[in-house]
Amino acid sequence: MRVCFFHLLYQIRLDIYLHLFSMGPKKETKDAAAPAKKKETTTAAATASAKKTTKTTTTTTTKVVTKERKEKVKSTALKAKQRVVRGNRLTRNRKVHLKPTFRRPFTLRLQRQPKYPRRSVPKRNRLDHFAIIKYPLTTESAMKKIEDNNTLVFIVNIRANKPMIQQAVKKMYDVEAEKVNTLIRPDGEKKAYVRLKADHDALDVANRIGII
Amino acid sequence: MTRVKCSKLRGKKPDELQKQLTELRQELNTLRVGKVTGSGGAQKLGKIRDVRKSIARVLIVTHQTTKENLRSLYHGKKYKPKDLRQRKTRAIRRLQTPKEKSIRLKKVQRRQWAFPQRTYAVKA
Repeated sequence: MRVCFFHLLYQIRLDIYLHLFSMGPKKETKDAAAPAKKKETTTAAATASAKKTTKTTTTTTTKVVTKERKEKVKSTALKAKQRVVRGNRLTRNRKVHLKPTFRRPFTLRLQRQPKYPRRSVPKRNRLDHFAIIKYPLTTESAMKKIEDNNTLVFIVNIRANKPMIQQAVKKMYDVEAEKVNTLIRPDGEKKAYVRLKADHDALDVANRIGII
Repeated sequence: MTRVKCSKLRGKKPDELQKQLTELRQELNTLRVGKVTGSGGAQKLGKIRDVRKSIARVLIVTHQTTKENLRSLYHGKKYKPKDLRQRKTRAIRRLQTPKEKSIRLKKVQRRQWAFPQRTYAVKA
């Protein structure tokens, strides 16, 4: 009962307002898409009609209806109409959960867009190839390695690993390494045995470097 | 090789400085090899120190010039990298700015304007 009455009220209000604002020079459509345009053309007529209606009820004052007020009233009227059409209860499509567990859904993860770099100058690489290879060894056993096994022996930065050493040797002396073996000496230095590829001669390279 | 001077270095371009740096480091490398092989002699061994310090000077100059340029770049900007901001102390950085300290309620402002501290003097 109550609902019916509510609906009725809506209907009445709706009809009044829509009637008021669709009144103009022969306009059929009452869509909300072009309220402004319509407003301009119908303001004259509307104000006239409003004035007329108010005049019939109250003889003393003529009410001036502002544009904003009209728009607000129109929007509320349209909302009411929509409500009437679709019903007052808004049904939502609720997801059906078939499993008892709830796992956090994937949400949007934005990339960082820093407003400023935290460090003005990026850190320079302290372990570049100059720093990796300290010096070659020239001991008797090292000499033997050069002659017999085609390897060079270096003392190397302790924080360098085998691929680093390989690259450093390549950059510094233009030689390709077949493999690198490392060990840490008892005095804390890292020793690297760099076996060169067959197409390089360790003796030549040693002469070139300065170890003989 | 002559001694590298900072004043001479400051005029140079960055890529020139980089080139000099690599040259110096290669020289240092050869010197170190010489030290191990026992070829050099006292002069060459003494040169190691000079080369090391020259490398340091080149690095200092490059770093100083880049920092200077960055400071001028970020001058007046709202967000600066943290190492270009004032260091002072942690507590001081978190203090209120003088402007923030001077903010008063409108009511308080009005009250202070309407009823300021009066000074009196006794007529002699």
